[in-house]
Amino acid sequence: MEFGWNEDEVRYRDRVRKLLDERLPSNWSEIAVHGPGSKQQTDFSKSFCKTLAGEGMLIPHWPRAFGGEDGKSWDHFILGEEIWAAGEPRGPQYMNVNWIGPVMMRYATPEQQQRYLPDIVAGNVIWCQGFSEPSAGSDLASLQTRAEKVDGGYVVNGAKVWTSYAGLADHCFLLARTGTGKSGIVILLVPMTSKGIQVKEIDALIGEGDIHELFFDDVFVPEENRLGAEGQAWEIISYALQNERIGIPRYAFARRILDRAIAKLKADGRFDDPVIKDRAGRVLAKCEAARMMVYRVVDERAKGAPPSAFGNLARFSVVQADHAVSDFMLEYMPEGMLGDDPMQQAHHQRAIAAGIASGAAEIQLNLAARRFLDLPSE
Amino acid sequence: MNFEPDDNQAAILDGLEQLITTQKIEPPKHATLVAFSETLDAELAVSGFLDIAREEGFSPLDAALIVERIARLPLCAEVATSALVGPLFPIDALQRPLAVLCGSPLGPARFLPHARSLIVVEDENVSLISVTPDRVVPVESLFAYPYGRLESVEGLAVQRFGRDMVTPVLRRWRLSIAVEAAGLMQAALDTVLEHVRTRKQFGRALGSFQAVQHRLATAASTANATKWLALRAAWSDDEAICAMAATYAQDAIPLFTYDLHQFCGAMGLTLEFPLHLWTYRLKALLGELGGSGGQARAAAELTWADAA
Repeated sequence: MEFGWNEDEVRYRDRVRKLLDERLPSNWSEIAVHGPGSKQQTDFSKSFCKTLAGEGMLIPHWPRAFGGEDGKSWDHFILGEEIWAAGEPRGPQYMNVNWIGPVMMRYATPEQQQRYLPDIVAGNVIWCQGFSEPSAGSDLASLQTRAEKVDGGYVVNGAKVWTSYAGLADHCFLLARTGTGKSGIVILLVPMTSKGIQVKEIDALIGEGDIHELFFDDVFVPEENRLGAEGQAWEIISYALQNERIGIPRYAFARRILDRAIAKLKADGRFDDPVIKDRAGRVLAKCEAARMMVYRVVDERAKGAPPSAFGNLARFSVVQADHAVSDFMLEYMPEGMLGDDPMQQAHHQRAIAAGIASGAAEIQLNLAARRFLDLPSE
Repeated sequence: MNFEPDDNQAAILDGLEQLITTQKIEPPKHATLVAFSETLDAELAVSGFLDIAREEGFSPLDAALIVERIARLPLCAEVATSALVGPLFPIDALQRPLAVLCGSPLGPARFLPHARSLIVVEDENVSLISVTPDRVVPVESLFAYPYGRLESVEGLAVQRFGRDMVTPVLRRWRLSIAVEAAGLMQAALDTVLEHVRTRKQFGRALGSFQAVQHRLATAASTANATKWLALRAAWSDDEAICAMAATYAQDAIPLFTYDLHQFCGAMGLTLEFPLHLWTYRLKALLGELGGSGGQARAAAELTWADAA
């Protein structure tokens, strides 16, 4: 047992930091404040992800056969920590590299891999996640969007909601129902230019262009766009969510923002206030505790262990840390939300979604209670 | 980065398990507030477990793993201070068991009724006072540690170690709070999990109610976060990280102990049910060294000393 970084990992982190220092523009904080789904961030992500791809830092953890470098799990995580700490300049494309690509590598046909993966590798494509519906949020398995089997494919009818990045997405990773129960769900890879798709942006607290309603009206999807077999969707979704849940090192951005906040409080002569110091110390401890919880999950992954329910506990601790940092700044630095600090607002907007997106924090607790604590069901 | 014990650590923990098995440790059969075991305390010392951080090739992390494991037992022994703070002193300078105090040497201290040395931390000095049980007045309390206070220091041998010792002792004291709290939390949680799996109300196991499940899952997150941050602090032996680990642990103790007692109802308020043997050690640790606020301010000052 030891908790240090080896020389290669230190070098790798330095390389990532150097790249971010050199390639993030001086006005990055003004871009970031628009939110990851905004046109500003989406456009920026397309040029920035190309830069990352050119430096071998977009998909280093992918296998060489798919354009990656067979990178180590810890290197991938170090990359994610540093990029998220900088405010996630990959914008919507973090999903591509964290879980959409890996899911396709595992479950897609060779033809599908050939069709979809090169654009992800090039940092040139936006995907959205067509999961939640008006009556199926945390209870994802109750989704009702229908995929009716027809000659050569499926006809999709229904509605999705809270769909991130849909306004500028090229493809939708869509869940639809062909029958009953979890085995009656199918995954369709739907071009967003398909006839019958309507996208409506939802004004929200978490940034412009971030969440949408998505309507499907007799949308035809060819059979070759189905991912996996019929009946296999829930297995694929579970795999995807395991990657998604710990894929975002939110505590890293929270810690970076907290460090900035303390520097400002010190400059303003307010850090000597024992109450502020007390609160800052508690928030700091939450961030570092969350970091260790996530590192333990990455350690499991790096050793090739199957995903465990510890990830649900880790995700909960990350949500607590993210909110603690945001609340600390709301209380002691409200001016940051009043135009003084765009990055503070950007962090706040990500923090308030942390316990809701990709499965609510309470779902993590449900799963942890059953799978980690072995508590009985009703 | 490796979250699994290496071969040496696994061997240490195996040896510790053998000692625990040999001792046939069980919760006390009679109702008691404090379950201090002189036998366990002596066996741990004689077997060398408490001096491991002094040995070449071993570290505070190895000592922390021992502290965490022993804290999970229903019987308590003076382990954390001996294993983590003690090695800062020359081996011939102190006799254990140890007690530790901040400020006045006449305050109530954990383990003092059994201690042979009392470490006293002041602003500018650390002293080591040789004590004998006849100079200690036992202090009765709900806390599940033996407490006592010196009637006076007159005539007791005192060694002074100067201000250079203040920072190391505070660092390891904070570390010992965090590591011990981690073990106590896990054992308390395990006790309550067993209770809610079997205790039925409204025709169902208590643990099947979502209101209970969420709070216990939160407690599990807290216990694990306390443990891994404490072990990282032990590995680093870094002043700021030790303060963070103690902050996290002490900050979490009130809600953690409240929830665990709630789910045991009136049973959890009896001495027959062993929950207090861990929760009332946690509550005692809550007030150590100025409480969570003291640790939080220290963590903030140490972490951002150079921030500008």
